[in-house]
Amino acid sequence: MNERLSRFNTGLLADRKITQLMIFTTLTFFFFSYASRDIFFSSSNFISMAYQIPEIAILSIALMLSMLTGGIDLSIVSISNAAALVASWVMTTKMDEAGNLSTNWIIIACVLGTIIGVLAGAVNSILVARLNVTPILATLATMTLFNGIAIGITNGESVSGLPEQFMRVGNGTFFGIPTPFVLMIFIAIAVGFLINRTTLGLKVFLVGTNRKAAQYSVMGDRKVIAWVYLISGLLSSLAGLIIASRTSAASPDFGSSYILLAIVIVVLGGINPNGGFGTVTGVILATVVLQMVASGFNALRFSQFLYLAAQGGVLIFVMILNVILEKRRTNRSIAKSLRS
Amino acid sequence: MNIRKLLLRNETALIIAIVVLSLIIGIKSPEFFTLANLFDIFRSSFVQLIFALGVLIVIISGGIDISFPAVGIFAGYTAVVLMQRFEWNPENLLLPIALAIIIGTILGAINSIAIATFGIPTLIATLGTSGIFRGLMLTFIGSSFISDIPVALDKFATADLLKIQPEVGTLARLHVLIIPVAILTILVSLLLTRTMFGRSVYALGGGVEATRRLGISVKRTQAKIYMLVGGLSGLAGILYVSLQRKANPYDLAGSELDIIAAVVLGGASIMGGYGTVFGTVLGVLLISLIKGNLILLGVSGSWQRAAVGALLLIGITVQALNESKKAKNRRVSTSDEAGQ
Repeated sequence: MNERLSRFNTGLLADRKITQLMIFTTLTFFFFSYASRDIFFSSSNFISMAYQIPEIAILSIALMLSMLTGGIDLSIVSISNAAALVASWVMTTKMDEAGNLSTNWIIIACVLGTIIGVLAGAVNSILVARLNVTPILATLATMTLFNGIAIGITNGESVSGLPEQFMRVGNGTFFGIPTPFVLMIFIAIAVGFLINRTTLGLKVFLVGTNRKAAQYSVMGDRKVIAWVYLISGLLSSLAGLIIASRTSAASPDFGSSYILLAIVIVVLGGINPNGGFGTVTGVILATVVLQMVASGFNALRFSQFLYLAAQGGVLIFVMILNVILEKRRTNRSIAKSLRS
Repeated sequence: MNIRKLLLRNETALIIAIVVLSLIIGIKSPEFFTLANLFDIFRSSFVQLIFALGVLIVIISGGIDISFPAVGIFAGYTAVVLMQRFEWNPENLLLPIALAIIIGTILGAINSIAIATFGIPTLIATLGTSGIFRGLMLTFIGSSFISDIPVALDKFATADLLKIQPEVGTLARLHVLIIPVAILTILVSLLLTRTMFGRSVYALGGGVEATRRLGISVKRTQAKIYMLVGGLSGLAGILYVSLQRKANPYDLAGSELDIIAAVVLGGASIMGGYGTVFGTVLGVLLISLIKGNLILLGVSGSWQRAAVGALLLIGITVQALNESKKAKNRRVSTSDEAGQ
C-alpha cells in the first residue's frame, strides 16, 4: 500500500512541471484575451499563431534533446538556415522562368537540405562525443562556422522567390489544420516515442542524470551523445525547411534571436539544463505560452524590444523559481527523513 | 623551464601562428608591413581587449558570460544619452567614462544576483540578462542612433599619441589609448596572479567544492567577478562609442563570439582553472589580424565569420586533444604506481 502511494507520488512529481505549465498557459491565454479582446482573441490571430509555433517548437525540441544529456546545442539556428539555404539554392537554380518546378526536384532539394542538417549534426557529434569538447564551446564554434560559411557563400544575401508548390507546404492546410502544425505534431510524437519508448531514449536520460554512472555501466555513452547531436541537426534542418517554405525565402541571418527564444522555451518547458529531465509536452506547451506572449505584445502594440526583454525576464524568473522550489522540496524531504 | 615545454605552451603556438600569418599576408601584399597597418590593428584591438580581459576572468572561474556586449553598449549608449539629457559639461572626458563604468557595474551586479545568489547556470543567466538589458535599453532609453556624441568623446577618437609620416604611404597614427589599455592589462594580470581575489578566481575554476572547503566564499567571489566584468564591459562600451564617434544601440550584437573565441584561443580553459592574460592579448591580436586583413589575402570580407569559426574550432580541438592525452598519461602513471 505504502509502496503504491509513493509510486503515485513520484508520478505526480514528474508531472508537476506540466501541471504548472498548464496553469501558466491558461493564465497567459486569459490575460491576453481579456487585455486585447478584439485583436488577440480572434480566429485570424489563432491561425497565424498556428503557423508561427511549429518552426520554433521543432528547434526547441532539437535543443531539448541535447539538454537532456546535460549538453547544449547552440548551432541549431545556424544549421536550420544552412539547410534552408541549400534547399532554396537547388530549387531556384532548377526552376524554369515561370517559377515552376517538378515535385521531384522539390523533394531532392528538401532531402539535400536534411542531409546538410545531418552532416552539420555529425560535426557536432564528432566534437562533443569523440573529441570530448565541452558542448557549449563546440556548438558555439560550429554555430559561427556554419553561419560564416553560409554568409561567405551567399555574400550575406537572402535567396527568395521559391516555387509555388513548395510554399504550399508552409502556408497550406491539411484537413483544415495548418500543415506546419501537423508536421510539428508528427515530429513531436516521433521524438516523444524516441525518448520514452526506446532504449536510446532511456540511455539519453541516464547519460543526462549521471554521466559517470552511464560510463561505468558500459552502455556506450559516447554513442548516445553522438546520436543526440545528429538528431538535433536533422530536426533543425526540418525546421529550416518549414521556415523557408512559410516565408518563401532563406537567409543566413534569419532568426538570430531564436537561440535565446529556444532556450527560454526549453527551460520554461521544465527541462533541467543539467540534464536528465524533460518532456516533449512541456516544450510544446512552453512554445504556445511564448507565442501567446509574442502575439499578445503585438496586439497590445508593445515594442518588439520589450518582447526581447520579456523573454530574458521569463528565463531568469523560471530559473529562480525552480531553484527556490527545489530548495524547499529538499528541505521538506530532509525534515521528513529526520522525523521518521 | 626547458625548451620543449616552452614550445608546447599555448602562447608560443599563438606567436608562431601570428608570425606565420603575418608573413603569408605580407608576401601577398606588401602594404601589410607598414606602421599604419600595425597601428590600425592595435586600434581595432583596444575595445576587444578590454572585453576579453573581463571574459578571461569569468572563464577562468569556470563560468561563461555572454551578456558583456549588451552591458557594454547599454552602458556606453546610456552614458551618452544621460550627458545629453541633462546637458552635462560635454567637454569633460572622465564623466562619461565614469558613468559607463558605474552603469556597467550595476548591470554586472544584476548578473551577480542571478548567478551567485540563485545559482543559475552562468550561460543561461547571462543569456537571459543580455535579452533583458538589450530589450530595456531599446524600449526605454532609446533606439535611435546618436551621431552628435559629447565633444570630449568625439575628440578622443582622434587623440593620437604619436604620428609618423613615412616617406611613402599613409600617415601612421598610434592612438593614445595604448597606454591606459596597457596599464589596465598589467593591472588585471597582477590582480589575477598576485592577489587573494585572483587566487580565489583560479580556485573556483578548479573546483567549486574544493574552493568552499578552502574557506573561500564562493558566492562573494562570484559576485565580485561579475561586477568587475560589468565594470570592464562598461568601460569598453564607452570607448567603443568614442572610437566609432557615434552611439548606435544596435551595435556590438553578435560580437560576443569573436571575443570568447579570442580568449579560448589564448589558451583559457572553458572548464575553468586555467588562463593567462598574455595568452588573451595574443588571442585578441590574432583575431583582429585575421578580421582586418582577410581582404589583403584576397578573400572576400564576407568570409570573416567563417574564418573566426574555423580558428575557434581548431583551437578547441587542439585543446581537447591535449586534455585527453594528459588524462591518458595520468591514467597510465597511476596504474604504474598501482602495479609497483
